[in-house]
This record gives sequence, structure tokens and C-alpha cells, in this order.
Amino acid sequence: MGFKTDKQTLDDLNITGRFKAQSVFSLFNDTQTGGGEKLLEGMFQQPLTDAAAINNRSDVFNYFHNKQLSFPFNPSTIQAAETYLGEETGSSYLLAAGAHLRRKFLQMAMKDEQYGQLQSGLLATIDMLKALQQFLPLMEGCPATGLFETVAVTFKGDKMKWLQEVGVDQPLTLLQLARYDHLVRHVLRNEMEGILRFIYHLDVYIAVSNVARERNFLYARALPKDQHIFQTTALHHPALKNGVANPLHLHEDRNVLFLTGANMAGKSTLMKSLGIAVYLAHMGFPVAARDLVFSVRDGLYTSINVSDNLNLGYSHFYAEVLRVKKVAEQVAEGNDLVVIFDELFKGTNVKDAYDATLAVTKEFAAYRNSFFVISTHIIEVGAALQQECDNLQFSYLPTIMEGSVPRYPYTLTAGITNDRHGMIIIENERILEMIQE
Amino acid sequence: MSFTTDKQTLEDLNIFGKHGGDSIYNIFNRCVTRGGAAVLAELFRYPLADFEAINKRSGIIQSFALAGTSFPFKGADFDAVESYLANTDERSKLTVQENTVARKLTNMIAMDIETQQIYKGVEALVALMKKTQELMEELNENKFYKQENEEIRTILNNPAFTEMNQSRGKLSPTQIADFDVMLRFRYRTLVEKLLQHIFHLDVYLAIAKVANERKFVFPKALPAGQPDLLKLEGVYHPQVKNAVPNNIHVTTDNNVIFLTGANMAGKSTFMKSLSIAMFLAHMGFPVAAQQMEFAVLDGVYTTINLPDNLGMGASHFYAEVLRVKKMAEELQLKKGLFIVFDELFRGTNVKDAYEATIAITSAFAKKRKSIFLISTHIIEAGDVLKEKCSNINFVYLPTRMNGHQPVYTYTLEQGITGDRHGMVIINNEKILEILQNGKKQLRKTTANYGI
Repeated sequence: MGFKTDKQTLDDLNITGRFKAQSVFSLFNDTQTGGGEKLLEGMFQQPLTDAAAINNRSDVFNYFHNKQLSFPFNPSTIQAAETYLGEETGSSYLLAAGAHLRRKFLQMAMKDEQYGQLQSGLLATIDMLKALQQFLPLMEGCPATGLFETVAVTFKGDKMKWLQEVGVDQPLTLLQLARYDHLVRHVLRNEMEGILRFIYHLDVYIAVSNVARERNFLYARALPKDQHIFQTTALHHPALKNGVANPLHLHEDRNVLFLTGANMAGKSTLMKSLGIAVYLAHMGFPVAARDLVFSVRDGLYTSINVSDNLNLGYSHFYAEVLRVKKVAEQVAEGNDLVVIFDELFKGTNVKDAYDATLAVTKEFAAYRNSFFVISTHIIEVGAALQQECDNLQFSYLPTIMEGSVPRYPYTLTAGITNDRHGMIIIENERILEMIQE
Repeated sequence: MSFTTDKQTLEDLNIFGKHGGDSIYNIFNRCVTRGGAAVLAELFRYPLADFEAINKRSGIIQSFALAGTSFPFKGADFDAVESYLANTDERSKLTVQENTVARKLTNMIAMDIETQQIYKGVEALVALMKKTQELMEELNENKFYKQENEEIRTILNNPAFTEMNQSRGKLSPTQIADFDVMLRFRYRTLVEKLLQHIFHLDVYLAIAKVANERKFVFPKALPAGQPDLLKLEGVYHPQVKNAVPNNIHVTTDNNVIFLTGANMAGKSTFMKSLSIAMFLAHMGFPVAAQQMEFAVLDGVYTTINLPDNLGMGASHFYAEVLRVKKMAEELQLKKGLFIVFDELFRGTNVKDAYEATIAITSAFAKKRKSIFLISTHIIEAGDVLKEKCSNINFVYLPTRMNGHQPVYTYTLEQGITGDRHGMVIINNEKILEILQNGKKQLRKTTANYGI
């Protein structure tokens, strides 16, 4: 079963989206080949739910991270080889050779381009194979299994002997062309497909580990589900280069984080950082967090920018209620989830928001197998929850006033804050004076 | 001074809509010609701030609506004309000298496309002009349209066009070559002006038709600077089916409307209905209401669905503050505005929102020339404002409880309401039950593991 999440969550965290600026995907998308990009997209669409698979993938990234290998192919060579290998060829050697002869003739007689294209495609493929042959020994000790082993075996065996015979940058004779073409596109067809897929993987591994090295991302360790833990010593937002890092520790006895803080103190950013870290960690990707260990979860749901849907006749509040309901259903099914609610029930009046936040948080908190992060402006809820539940941790993001200018240190502090500086912000913008002039 | 508005307002009111979906523009866009549709979009983009201009336009449309005039042209009539006029290449002029036997023969067998297009264009345009001439005769009675009618006739009666108007039957190649030079080059500006008049007429007639079909009324614009700012009866949202109409009367003594009501009671819809009516009224268009009179204002600004701009690092609250600041800047220019805030300061904590709502609303209340419509959940702010300002009109949208089911009347009443049904909605969705029952099942499974 796949990792559960939904569009709202992906939008909140700005995870996918090839053309969206600053999406997490585009942050990592340093791939050189089209196939690599597609593979990366696939990984973003399907995070893993098996601790061993996650750790295996992150080990591979880590290996490339430390090895600092660079992608050994020219992207245009790969593209030419892809096109060439993608075309069909006859299964009979003789018939295919006959066709080549005809093309060669056409080329000489009528300047037809087919023969030239065939030759350059084949040469690109040979280039690619040679580059790979030289690269493979550099990958000694790589923890990647499966595809890597298959490709290594292919190159060690007799199947690739012919590669030695081909000189570099020499035009092929018609006979050579016919033979190699038959080999590559017919006899070794499956091997070639494997090799291309391997190259796409290599592209992703190298691209992602390069981004990680450049941005100081680190690798998370996945633990089996039943330990119910999420722990990091320093978590920050991957898109912010100088983001302030905060430690965070969620576990069965403290599975709800109740977050308060003034406007602009960084509540949403912290919640997004957590959501993105959870998501990336489940992909086996490097995360913007130090020493991250986590139990594998079944899914991630966030509710940070819920918009009203007046076309369907929903008010803002009703949209929030439906969102909470959806998450409640998932939680009630017994899934181990990470749930993030920013400013729960902000679309209603204070008393309703107080009642609703209190009731819903209390019920959610009883599911100790899931982690909840809930932010609110209604600090009175925190006091009431402190009385009723023992598995909440209360943290806030402080504001320090320097004269009339608020400063935000963005460091998570234990407790509940009643900081509020809305009027100061309004006063700083000098709005009232403007109206009264 | 022109009428001002902004992108946020256009989006809030769904004036143009997204990707051509249902929008206010689409309600009115029943134009036959493409040029008419373009003119209509232009009218939507630039509403008027001059009461005479507004009344003039609405008078024209109203007169057509009463007469039930229909637009006699077809969209296809204009296609040939438009592509013909788009060709401004001097070299494509037809020349009479070339009219040799050989050329006539080739033309008879197969005319080249460009020449064909010119032939068709000239014929279509001449036909169009004749038809317009007839139409203007018909519309002679309409005194509201008199000025434009005369302008159109002046163009048509230009001596240069006499020969065209008098031509009968199929045009000869010589005539076409002559007319071509006149229409496409020498009197091009006149021809274009004529087309613009026809496009405008298309718009007027389309709107008149919409007004008749939907039973919209034509508002009466009054000059700015009088005590009665807005008198509106039976206003409703043109895009909501079976919408409930409401009345509102705004004078300089109650120009701040303070709206409360439970979630889903229809606050946003009422605010949109009123704003759309104001917007359309300033275009001289008919509105979804029974009766409307308004003093002309200088702009409309609404803040109903304000997105936070986290990409730029601004929180929702800060986005709201900046929006209020923008309003303040506009008010500083001594403009009379129609300003709408839905759920003012919902992006912050209650206490901040309470203080800020009071401060901003009472500051707005000092501006008697403008109309403010402010909704909030923070009813406590209303009590303070009642003491502080004399010109606030407190209205609410009620909720009646029918057992556990809330029922909404969507009819405005005077006062402030403490209605709140948030918990009822949550209970109706059975969220707490889902969580409570799920937990029990989970306990069972963990118990089984224990065994």
C-alpha cells in the first residue's frame, strides 16, 4: 500500500510541480536526462512505506554524496542513443543488413539522411556504453542492488566483448554497422533497456546527492513502524538557505505538538519544514534536518492553506470542517499518520473556534500512533488541554520587541505564548494616520 | 477622474472568471460580433465615474430593452470585413488598368485568393453599410440613441460613399476596385469608426436582451455629494439560483455597514451581490435588483478572498494589513469609494483582530463620502463601535435552528447576532464520533496483538 497523502498536502508543502518555482521537486531536479527527470517525478509521486527500502535508497544517495562522482555522460549522447534504441529493427540479420545496404545506396544516390542518422545513433550508443564501462569500476561498493548488479554482470560477461573492437571516433563500415546494429537492437535489446534505466537512476542519484552536498542536507534513518518516533536535532525549511534550525521530538507519549506564536513568528514555516522533512524522509531523500530518525508512517496530511470553495457552496469554515473530517476518517481507520493543522478553525468566531479546537484536538490526541502538530491563536485552548491530556507538548515561537519593532528569533521554545503584535504592525504601517488625514 | 478598481476586486467578484468559466462578463456577453465582445470587455475594464455618462449609457440600453430591438447582423457578416480590413498592404490594391481580357479570363476560371478576399470584403462591407443605413432609419424614433445615430449617418452620408449606397445588384470589377481604394485606404478611419459604432450597438442590444430575459433593472445615477448614497431594493447575486433579495439604504449618516452572522448564513454572498450591483451600476449596466439609485463613487475595492503570499514571505495577517493600507492610500486622495472587507483580520488572533477591527472601522467611519461594508466574526467589536460611532448600520444574516439542522433565511435584519453553529456543523459531520469509534476498533486490534 502506498504512502497516503493528497493534493491539498502537496500544495501546502509545495512539493510537486515541475514548473512551479521553489517547489521541492524543482529544488532537487538537477537531472541531465529526460528519463532521469521522469524517474525523479515518479519518486516524488510515490514515497515508500517500507523501512528497509527507504534506508536502502538513502544509503545509495549517501554513497554518491560521499563519492562525489559526476555524471559521466553527455546529455545529448544519451538522447541520441535513446532515439536510436527506441526504433524497431528487423529480427532477421540478413533482412536488416539488406535494408542498411539500401539506405547506404540511397544516401549516396539521393543524399538521403536515414543512413547517416542510423550511423550517428549507433555511434552515440557505443559512446554511451564505453563511458559506462569506464564508469562502473568507480562505483565499487555501491549499496545499490538489483539493476546495478544486472548491469555489472552484463559488462563482465561475453556479451559486451565486441565493444573492445570498436575504435573511438572511427566511422563504421557497412558490415560493422549491420553487425552492431543487430547486436544492440535485437540480441541485446533487454540489456540495453536495463542499461538505459540504470543510467536514469544514476542521473537521479548524482543530481540529488549534488543538491544535498551543496545545501548541507543529510540522510534520515527509517525505523520500523511500531516504535512511533520522529526525532531530529535541527530541522529547517529546505528552500530557505539561512533558515533557523529547531530540534523536534515526537513520540508515543508526546505525540501532539501544540504550537503558538504571534503572526509572522514563523509557525507556518516550521510546520511546512516538518511536513517536507516527513515527505522527503519517506522517499529516502536527503532532508533539511540533522540526525533525523523516524518510524515509517502510513501517510501525511496537512491543512495549511485551506481555501473556501464557493463554487461548491462551501464557506471557509465548512471547507475546514470537511478537511478535518477527511483526516479523522483516515486516523480512525487505524493509520499511523503525521497530521499538521495550521490555525485550525480560523474561519469562525472565537467561541466556536475554541470549542471546536478543544474537542477535536482531544479526540485526535488519543491516537497515540499518529503525530499531530496543531497551531492556533486561541491560547486558552492550550490551558484547557494541559488539564485534560498528558501527551501534548506545548511549544511557541517567540517575538522580541525592540522598541516598537518586533524581531523574530524563530527558535522553538517550550510553553504557550500570548504574544500578539497585530496592532503594532498596523501602527508601523501608519494606516490610521493615513485615513484620518 | 476615472473609476478605479483592482485585480483583487475583479477576482473576488468573479467579473472575468478563470479560464472563461462562469463569470459576470459571460452573463452579459451575448454579443453577435467578436468586435462587440471586445468592446464589452473594455466596458467592464473601465467603469464610469461620471453620472451623466452613466445615465446616458443606461438610457440607451434601457430604450432598446423597452423596444425589444434585435441586432440584424450575423457574426459571419463581419468575418469577411475584418480579414479584408486587416490587409493594409498598399500593393494589394486592385488596379483598373490591369483589367485586360486575359485577366478577366483568369478571374473567371480561378481568382487568386487575395483578390477573392478583397472582392468578398468590399461586397460584404457595402452590404453592411446599406443595412446600417436602413437600421438607422428604423431607430430614428429612439431619442436616447439619437446622438450616435446621427454620427453614424454622418459617416454613411459622406459624399465618398454615395456611389456605394446607390449601387444596385452585383458590383462590377471596376466598381470594386474603386470602392476598395476608398474603403480600405482613403477613408479607412471613417470605416473603422463606423464599425466601432456597430460593435457598440451590438453590445447595447445584447445587454438589453439580457436585462429583459433576467428582469434586471436599470439603476439611476445621481451626482456625488448628496446625503443619499445608495438606495437598493431587492438586490441578489446574479449567479446564485433562487437567490434571496435584500434591501439596503445607505446615507451619509449610516455609511458603514457592519455585517455579522454565522458561517454559511450568506455573508459573503450578500457582500458580493452588493459589490457586483455597484460595479455594474457604474458601467451603466442593468443590475440584479428591483430598484437602485446611487450617488456616483470613484472606485470599488473588495477584499473577500485574500490569498496569503507566503512565496513573498508575507503572512495572511500582513497581507490584510497591506490591503487596508492600500485602501487608506486611496481614501487619502479624497475619493468616494465603495470598500468591502469580508472577515476583517481573520488571519490573526482574536484579541488583535478585536482591537484592529475597532481601530480601523472607527477610522473608516470618519469618511462620510464613502460606503464601507465590513463583516466580522468578532461580535464584541460591534458593541464597542456602537458606542463610539454614530454612522454605523448594524445588520446581520440570521440562522434559525430547526432541531439540529441550521436553516438560513438569507434576509438581512437590523442588529448584531451572536449566532454560532460551528459546533453544530462539526457534530452534523460526525467528526467526533468517527474519532471515538475508530479508537475503539483500534483498541481491539492492539488487544489482539497482546494475545
